[in-house]
Formats: sequence, C-alpha cells, structure tokens
Amino acid sequence: MAAQRRWHTIIPRDQLSNPPEGIPVTWLKPRKKLSKIYVHPPPRSMPKKCPDPVGVVTASQLATLDSSGARARLFDKENTEGVRVGDVLHVRMREGEPVSGVCLNIRRRGVETAILLRNQLTRVGVEVWVKVFSPLVQSVEIVQRRVRRARRARLYYMRQPKHDMGSVEGLVRTYLRQRAVLGSGGKGAAEMLGKKGKGKGKKK
Amino acid sequence: MIQLKTLLNCIDNSGAAIVECIKVLRMERAARVGDRIIVVVQKQRNFGPESGPGGSVSISAANKVRRGDIRHAVVVRTAKKTQRKDGTVVRFDDNACVLINKNGEPIGSRFNGVVGRELRDKQWSKILSLAPMHV
Repeated sequence: MAAQRRWHTIIPRDQLSNPPEGIPVTWLKPRKKLSKIYVHPPPRSMPKKCPDPVGVVTASQLATLDSSGARARLFDKENTEGVRVGDVLHVRMREGEPVSGVCLNIRRRGVETAILLRNQLTRVGVEVWVKVFSPLVQSVEIVQRRVRRARRARLYYMRQPKHDMGSVEGLVRTYLRQRAVLGSGGKGAAEMLGKKGKGKGKKK
Repeated sequence: MIQLKTLLNCIDNSGAAIVECIKVLRMERAARVGDRIIVVVQKQRNFGPESGPGGSVSISAANKVRRGDIRHAVVVRTAKKTQRKDGTVVRFDDNACVLINKNGEPIGSRFNGVVGRELRDKQWSKILSLAPMHV
C-alpha cells in the first residue's frame, strides 16, 4: 500500500517562511498534514478480482449440495447415460411421498436445475417441477428411457390427449419391484444414491 | 387462478358436474387451492344408466343440488402453478372444486379425483379425508 501512495504538494515549503500578501494567516500555518494530499487509489476492479461471481457461488453451492458430483453428471447434457427429456423418472424425497412422471423439460440453471415431471393421478394430469439439487431430494432414478431420442427440448406436446402417456404408476411399480429383487434387500438409501449411475448401466 | 366466470369441474357426488365461480370470498385476487368461493351449478351430473326421459325423478333424488343452485365451494385443483414450501411447483390439468354448505362441511359424501395438499394448510381436513389421494 505504502508504495502506491502519491503525494502532491500544494504550497511550496519556502513560501511558508515569508507569506505572500493578502492571504489569511491561517493558510500559512505550517501544517504538514495539509501540505500533502493523499490521492486514493481507484477502487479495485471487481470484474478483475472475480470475473464470474455467479459461477463461484454456484460451484460452492454444488460442492455442498452435490459433493460427489453424481447428480450433476446425471443432468449433464453431454452425458449420454444421463437424464433426457422423455425419460420416465422416479424422484425420492427425504420426507414425503416420492414423485414420478415423464420428464417434459430439464431446466439447466446450475444449482437451480429443475425437472418437470408429468403424471396422471386418478386420470387427472399433474405436473411437478422439482429442483434436483434440493437437499430434500434423496435420489433421482431413471425408470424407463425414451425409445428414440426426443427431437424437441421441451415435450409440452405430451399434454395433448393424443400424445399423453397417461399414468406411469405401473411402470414405476414394476421398476421398483425389479430393483428390489436385484438390490438383494439390505442396501441403505445412501448407498443407492451413490450407486445410481452404475446401477443404471447394469440394468441396460 | 379462479375468478368470476371461471368454470370448474365439481368432483364430488353432490350432483353438480360443472359449476361457475361467481364470487371469490375474502380475497381481492384470484382463488387458489383451499380458497372458498361461491359458485352456480351450470351442469348436472347424470348418475347411473337410468338417466333418460324417465330418469328425471332418479336424478333429482340422487342429486343434492340442481342446475342454477348457488352454493359455496372449495377449490381443490388449479391449472395455475402453485409453489410449495419445499420448492416444488405443482399444476393440475384442470380447475376443480367441491361443494360445501355454509358451515364448511362438504355436501357430497365421496370425491373422485386427486386434490391439492394445500388444503391441509387451510384446515380442510374433512375434504382431505374424503379425497382418494392428495398431491
């Protein structure tokens, strides 16, 4: 800091001893502090200090919410094994009932990443947006993949009666029964969460 | 977003099929799940195969409300998205309600359809217990 200070002299020192005419005396009192003015350095440039603050916050949030990175990989666009629109998903919550449905939309926004699940309950269409990095979400599992890749990013046309999948409860039930057989019982919930990616590959 | 002139499905067995909102009670804005509204019955539900020219007597016997009746109702589903405290956002495909009397007790004795969980926060436990499932 000291090296950056720039001092600017206002009144020369020799004029202090013999004051010029017509200038108030108070001006000419030898005050060392006033003789030099401290020029503040410009404030540090925030863009230089932190070029991408939102990215830093997102990274720190993801580090706490998704420390293993498994969830981020599941929703990575480049990951061919990950979730895509049209897949039937089953989302377990830490408390409360699980949510399942066909994924109509994936809103990729870093830590705010969310999925839109559509299902039919008692023949009424129900759509739920779920934040996938929420601490309340225990696991996101792929029940059934779409046979052919969807050619749209948002499958809102599946709301139309012509394209509606209907209820996915039957699919989810068979999936859960199969997984219970394959998982050989005594696995804890945390283990299932960790092995999500691998278990999916095994199934295929 | 239930407001004046909104048509709602009535999912109880009171005899109303489609009702129209004519007033949202204690609200300046649109009604959401769990809000009380006043409705007028626009269309009656036909029960059983005897609904025909000779079935009018049985309809009136089974139906507790008639077309043109003005009743209170509670909204149980909205097509407008509602955000929950846990961050999830829920929307249904239709707007639906159940009819209640002035004391807040449901007129029908059975509901056919899913209802929103917001009813629990607004203390409509009687409706929740009659509903087949809630989301």
